[in-house]
Amino acid sequence: MSRSSLVESVLDNLPVAVFAKDATDDFRFVLWNQKQEVITGLQAEKAVGRNDYDLFSKESADYFRDVDKAVLKKGKPLEVPDEVVETALGEIHMKTVKIPVVDSETGRLLVVGISEDITERVKAREQLEKMNKDLSKTNQELQDTQMQLIQAEKLESIGRLAAGVAHEVKNPLAMLLLGVDYLSKDLDPEDPNIDEILIQMKDAIHRADRIVRGLVDFSSNRSLTKEETTVTSLVEEVLLLVRHEITKASVKITEDVSEDLPPVYLDTSKFQQVMINLIMNAVHAMAETEKPTLKISAKAMSLEEVEKNQGARTYKVFRKGDLVVVLEIRDNGSGISDANVAKLFDPFFTTKATGVGTGLGLSVVRKIVELHNGEISLNNRKNNQGAIVQIILPTRAHAEVT
Amino acid sequence: MAKKVLLVDDEAGFTTLMKMNLERDGYEVRVENSSPLAVSAAKAFQPDVILLDVVMPEMDGGDVKAKLDADPELTDTPVVMLTALVDSTELSDGAVADSAGSMVLPKPVEMELLHNVLNQVLSEADSE
Repeated sequence: MSRSSLVESVLDNLPVAVFAKDATDDFRFVLWNQKQEVITGLQAEKAVGRNDYDLFSKESADYFRDVDKAVLKKGKPLEVPDEVVETALGEIHMKTVKIPVVDSETGRLLVVGISEDITERVKAREQLEKMNKDLSKTNQELQDTQMQLIQAEKLESIGRLAAGVAHEVKNPLAMLLLGVDYLSKDLDPEDPNIDEILIQMKDAIHRADRIVRGLVDFSSNRSLTKEETTVTSLVEEVLLLVRHEITKASVKITEDVSEDLPPVYLDTSKFQQVMINLIMNAVHAMAETEKPTLKISAKAMSLEEVEKNQGARTYKVFRKGDLVVVLEIRDNGSGISDANVAKLFDPFFTTKATGVGTGLGLSVVRKIVELHNGEISLNNRKNNQGAIVQIILPTRAHAEVT
Repeated sequence: MAKKVLLVDDEAGFTTLMKMNLERDGYEVRVENSSPLAVSAAKAFQPDVILLDVVMPEMDGGDVKAKLDADPELTDTPVVMLTALVDSTELSDGAVADSAGSMVLPKPVEMELLHNVLNQVLSEADSE
């Protein structure tokens, strides 16, 4: 075996690409081994005698030429850890070492390149990075969920405590009321204040009782009696129940509820409680509004449609392809101040005057909706037009499972 | 003749005040603070109506009610349950009938509401 055929055979069977360019002849390729053919998809006979500008894009060729010149200037090998090259076979990543060599026979100045195809490695690393990112995202979600669980548990223990305390508080309240009732019938005509005092005391007793009752409401309601119904009939029933209050407040109601909504599984009386609460909240929020208007709408749509309408919001409890019923209550009242948006559903958070609200309404509402595997949100409408409550309810049969 | 009310509740303060209110309104009242003695008290007193607390130690209102119903002498005596428990929205504003048909009143209760309920229960009992 001649020396040149030995070298040729070694070169062609190397697992790395090897090439050489003649710097004294416009950087034309003088060597192009088999692995280089495989990586670039270019045969040696096409490459040898041509330069980078003949074979690659101008952008790539400029880059190669810069590196080549740098190697020659330095007079030492140079490593390029990750070159991206557009080839006929697509984008590849290469780790290349370029070496300046003077051919002892011809005296020509060569740039010899040895390249390793690291495309797979780079892809694997990218994938690993992506998986790592996904993992930290999942981890974050897990932490968030855990926080929510802790929060839920905290609320639940408050609830349990409240139920126990409620009973103990109601007995003394009952005694106070009996005492006040007794005294109210035996007034001293000399002192008109006594009458007023007793009225105030009675009021206070009822107020304390309402708060206690609200607390019990919040802590119980654990078991639901679900039945198949439609949001259409729910809205109808509720509007009958609140008609008096609505008329009293001169609120105009517009309804946009489809007649043919798919069935949902609801505890009707608890959901009536939810609706009444939300409607009365809206009525109170419109106390200062000139033409108070309440719009109630309900539509069936796919989760994808909901998400499209809502932008970035995602719905945790639903799955892709779910058919849901979206119930919305819009008012044109005072809306919610930014500072309060996050606190709306906290128990005991209220914007109403002391004694008017217990602060338990919306926290109970949210709990009931969540017990139905639904989601509720409360936001301001655009341009300070008022507030909008959105409730999304599942229609799947397995919505029955809680 | 004054109507007779037997008041069964373990809370002595409550029964004292309730007795004062009822007596002033013309009822004859007997108090029993120990629920296991409720049935014998009813037999001795022969009330026209029994006001019965629900949550009591030893024997709760439901158990007392069952004993009263089981006694042929007392089974027709109307019972009004009083409870500080509120586990349903129905109890929010007034009296409701429980599953066994007795009236249930929430504590705290207004005397006015109690009178109405007592009158109703007593007139029903009279007409039977």
